[in-house]
Amino acid sequence: MSIAGVCLEKPGTKVALTGNEAIARGALEAGVAYAASYPGSPTAEVLGTLSRLAGNFKLYAEWSVNEKVAMEGAAAASFAGLRSLVVMKADGLNVALDFAGALAISGCRGGMVIVLGDDPNAHSSVREEDSRNLCKAIHLPVLEPSSVQEALEMTREAFSLSEDLKLPVVVRCVTRVCHASGDVELGELNRPLPVPDFTRDNRVITFGIQLHALQEQKLARAAEWACHSGFNSYTGPENPERLVIACGPCYMHALEALDMLAATGVGVLKLGVTWPLPHQLLLKYLRNASEVVFAEEVEPFVEDNVTSLAAMQIPRGIKFYGKRSGHVAGPAGPGIGELDPDILASSLAGIFGVKYETPGVSGRAEALELLGEKMPDRELAFCAGCPHRASFWAVRAALELDGRGGIVLGDIGCYTLGMARTGYNLLQTVHCMGAGIGLAGGMANLSRFGFDRPIVTLVGDSTFYHAAIPALINARYHNSSFLCVVLDNETTAMTGHQPHPGRSVTAMGEPARTVRMEELLQGVGLPYVVQDPYDVEATIDVVCNMLGQEGPRVLILRRTCVLAAVRGKQKARVYVDQEKCIGDSCGCGRFCSRVFACPANVWDAAGGKARIDEAVCNGCGVCASLCPQGAIVVERAVL
Amino acid sequence: MPGQELLVKEIMDRGLCSSCGMCVGLCPYIKTAGDRVRAIYPCGIEEGACYGVCPKTSLDISEMDMFVHGREREDHALGIYSGIYYARATARADGAQYGGITTALIGLALREGLISSAILTGGDIMNPRPVLAATPGEVNSCAGSKYTGVPTLLELNRAAGRGLTGIGLVGRPCQVAAVRKLQRGKLPPERTYSDRLVGLMLGLFCFWSLSSELYGFLARETKGEEIIKMDIPLEGPGVLTKTGSRRWRVDEIRPFINKSCNYCFDSTSEWADLSVGSTEQDPGWNTLLVRSGQGRDLVELAADRGVLEIKDYPAGRLPVLRKAALNKKMRVLALAEKEPGNGGCPAIPDKYLREMNVQWGGINR
Amino acid sequence: MKEPLNIIITGVGGQGNVLASQVLSSAAAQAGYRVAVGETFGVSQRGGSVMSHVRISLTRPYGPLIPKGRAHIVAGFEPLETLRVLLEYANPETVVIMNNRPNYPLGCLSGEQKYPDPRDIEKAAGKLTPRLHLLSATELAKEAGSPLAANMVMTGALAGSRLLPFGREHFTGVIETLFQDPVRELNLRAFELGLYQMNK
Repeated sequence: MSIAGVCLEKPGTKVALTGNEAIARGALEAGVAYAASYPGSPTAEVLGTLSRLAGNFKLYAEWSVNEKVAMEGAAAASFAGLRSLVVMKADGLNVALDFAGALAISGCRGGMVIVLGDDPNAHSSVREEDSRNLCKAIHLPVLEPSSVQEALEMTREAFSLSEDLKLPVVVRCVTRVCHASGDVELGELNRPLPVPDFTRDNRVITFGIQLHALQEQKLARAAEWACHSGFNSYTGPENPERLVIACGPCYMHALEALDMLAATGVGVLKLGVTWPLPHQLLLKYLRNASEVVFAEEVEPFVEDNVTSLAAMQIPRGIKFYGKRSGHVAGPAGPGIGELDPDILASSLAGIFGVKYETPGVSGRAEALELLGEKMPDRELAFCAGCPHRASFWAVRAALELDGRGGIVLGDIGCYTLGMARTGYNLLQTVHCMGAGIGLAGGMANLSRFGFDRPIVTLVGDSTFYHAAIPALINARYHNSSFLCVVLDNETTAMTGHQPHPGRSVTAMGEPARTVRMEELLQGVGLPYVVQDPYDVEATIDVVCNMLGQEGPRVLILRRTCVLAAVRGKQKARVYVDQEKCIGDSCGCGRFCSRVFACPANVWDAAGGKARIDEAVCNGCGVCASLCPQGAIVVERAVL
Repeated sequence: MPGQELLVKEIMDRGLCSSCGMCVGLCPYIKTAGDRVRAIYPCGIEEGACYGVCPKTSLDISEMDMFVHGREREDHALGIYSGIYYARATARADGAQYGGITTALIGLALREGLISSAILTGGDIMNPRPVLAATPGEVNSCAGSKYTGVPTLLELNRAAGRGLTGIGLVGRPCQVAAVRKLQRGKLPPERTYSDRLVGLMLGLFCFWSLSSELYGFLARETKGEEIIKMDIPLEGPGVLTKTGSRRWRVDEIRPFINKSCNYCFDSTSEWADLSVGSTEQDPGWNTLLVRSGQGRDLVELAADRGVLEIKDYPAGRLPVLRKAALNKKMRVLALAEKEPGNGGCPAIPDKYLREMNVQWGGINR
Repeated sequence: MKEPLNIIITGVGGQGNVLASQVLSSAAAQAGYRVAVGETFGVSQRGGSVMSHVRISLTRPYGPLIPKGRAHIVAGFEPLETLRVLLEYANPETVVIMNNRPNYPLGCLSGEQKYPDPRDIEKAAGKLTPRLHLLSATELAKEAGSPLAANMVMTGALAGSRLLPFGREHFTGVIETLFQDPVRELNLRAFELGLYQMNK
């Protein structure tokens, strides 16, 4: 759990690391020389860790502008003979897929590992994509760690496998591995002096079906390797009748579920290599099994491939239980959401015909009665002092003032929360990085059919660099009329404040050649205005004015993410003058706590006045500027 | 008394808001941009000051006469007044309209300490804006009529928030009515303002105001030339630019008339201290109606100090003015009957209606 | 010690739960135990419910998620969230350490939902498990220097609960390496206040 543990040079030592730190350590043990990533949960901390250690190791680490560029950079290092790592979340693979598919055909030279973070349950994603199906589609081997320890080991070994096969290898980690932590045993650090070379004689080309044949051969070799790999393991009777096939953290959940059921005589086959499947190993345990249960997240990937293998190879019928049969399912249904020991215990209990009762509390009914009918939900909210809150309020106000029924298209970032109450339910579309601008262009082009609503699209600064530029070029080229509002908080906030091309330092802390948003817009030929969203009234005016203009145009609402702004600084003290506050009376109506909805603006029901929760407030002072009574006082720290 | 929800439903959503600005700044929920005034978020409060001060909601003419002037009116064309004159400023401010007496009177009141500051319409024809003027220089820079609805009363709420009193106001009839409703104080207790908030009200003659679509029209027609001056005399609206002047037929700008003005019963600011308009005859002079004692005092002071030159209102002109005012009222009554909820037209007691019909008949005979 | 010892730390995004679980699990690892932590963070750090599962064991590693009804200790940084966790994960033996300071969800701030009366929350928690320790962690943290150090007060309370198989020195050791002054000083003060409160 600390950067110091990741770079410890004592093999055999046990330290507590997070899954992401373990992946970083695994890469260091393999002698990685080049690492690139675009931040995305749940894998954002892998490159964060490596970049901080870049100085200690002979290592290049970068936050790339997007995942495709990251993968291309890492591939180049591999072509030049170095070991390289590229890290992204599942959605990032979609961005990089064009190149990834070609790279899988051309193959690589130095060991190249692609760490994919899948997010079952979509804890911090817009969807819970299972990237294994894409990996299968483009013919890449997939390793799946079940624990933090395995995350380290698999990452390390994936480099050798890749080098062996001359094919990039995927380490597919789910949130419960990346964001878990545990004690891990460290291996030897490998610190080769990288000597890159790529001469006129080297060729790495994707062309023709001969390479497809070679690709299949590589996968066949990988399957052979998988049959003997220690990453697949089996515990239980030699010829099990009942078999659980599990991968990822579901393996740990399955072991615990069987403990909870006190079930004995059930074999558990852990698959660490989930593509290509270790056929011989599987057949060995399937041969005598009569009931087979699958425990995996999210889609029935292993399940489909194993049942198809069994259909071809095993003449008698086996009862398969999983997502297809509907037996392994969480509350949202089979193949939806993540699994846990409880879901597996009740699924297995159902399949095996035994009873499982959750131990629980006795006073439940009485407690619920005391708490009232329904416990309040805890909705997600912009942080106290978040500049996005001010921006969303201003845009909302301006649209109401404009009165022409303007629409708002959204994008991916902290501001995606703007689809909910915290952003006044403003966003009407949310898809993927940069999609809002493309959609806005399309909507704007409908003007020729009489569609005349004002169109606003909101995009974050990191997303702007990642995926907005082509859509803006398209809009300028076709003169598509919309207002693009860049919510520029000067960082990649959602994933933990990683720098982007608009910043003046790189991932490694080196000075960067900042790519100013304004210069890009000038280059594209788009008019723009820069405004501080904390000045809400002025922002409303600017948005109103710009709504009335024609053509593609950009408003940059620039204010540093409040969490970054207050770090290490004394916050302003904000409080409510109880004499001046008029509470829920006409003229206010609890504006700060009820409507503006900053979690620091709380309501003292007993006193009928507003208060500031000083444990939450970040001291931005925006509520003070909006309070109709001037009752909110901001005391700035004297420096 | 109802609140924002009904204000939105009855007035704003039906295009009956005249952009007086009285409700802007009473709370964080009603805002303005240009000449638009909109509720940006439902406040959820059932009884709201915004509804109470809106000049387009529940206004009874005779009650207002009693409140402002202490008696009912005899003249149903021009309301209650004690004198009507032609007047002009002896030193006309640059850009001032006609005789320039509005700017001159406000400047005098300010210099004499009769008011602390004045709410005026500043900017220019194409970009008018609310101004709280605190010096005679600032007052002079606001000289000249603007023809679009500018929500200048938002400055009154702002000034009240700062604890100012004795504020002078130059406004359209709807704005004078709004301030009178505010003073009458049928408001939630926490919204009641100081009795001394407004020190003087100078109302303008106004038969209608225009929407901001006018700007696009003018820009097209003048090919973007800077407009130095605009007026709308009988022969039709016209502007003066650096290179010359343009004049149009009234019908060309009629589409820009604010809907709410079609239901407005008051074209001469009947509840102001003083009312000022054109003479429709001599562009160097203004018509001046003295309505209150306070108004009378200021005019006498202006005459004493030589700020204003005052002469009798030509006897032959009075029926013309009265006819124009009454005609408008009769048009409004006919139109309001057809509009659900009367279109924001005030309540007129039967007695007033009867007398008005008699007076109108008299004029037209 | 139970095998594994299951501890849940719960609260609201931004209260520093993750840091608390990090200190706890690092201390456990330093003391020679196996440890598995499952965090729920990411988008949840934006004011949502957050929960860390910490599992400390001697013999074998465990998965990062604690099964329902099997928490031995619940450290609740926020009353409502504590109740939520108790309803799912507690059993009659569960020990609860609860900060009494509410953090209001948006729905309660807007008035659409009602935050339960703090006394009712306390009573309800008592119905669910008799072993309830109430703590004014936020107030104590203010005493230490900043309300934000409530997470370290709670960590101190955990260390002082006598339910863990290792002593306070493992905690203070971790806090000392994890932070730099003046935050280190602040966190140590907050930790000691929490610890003292439990031993009082």
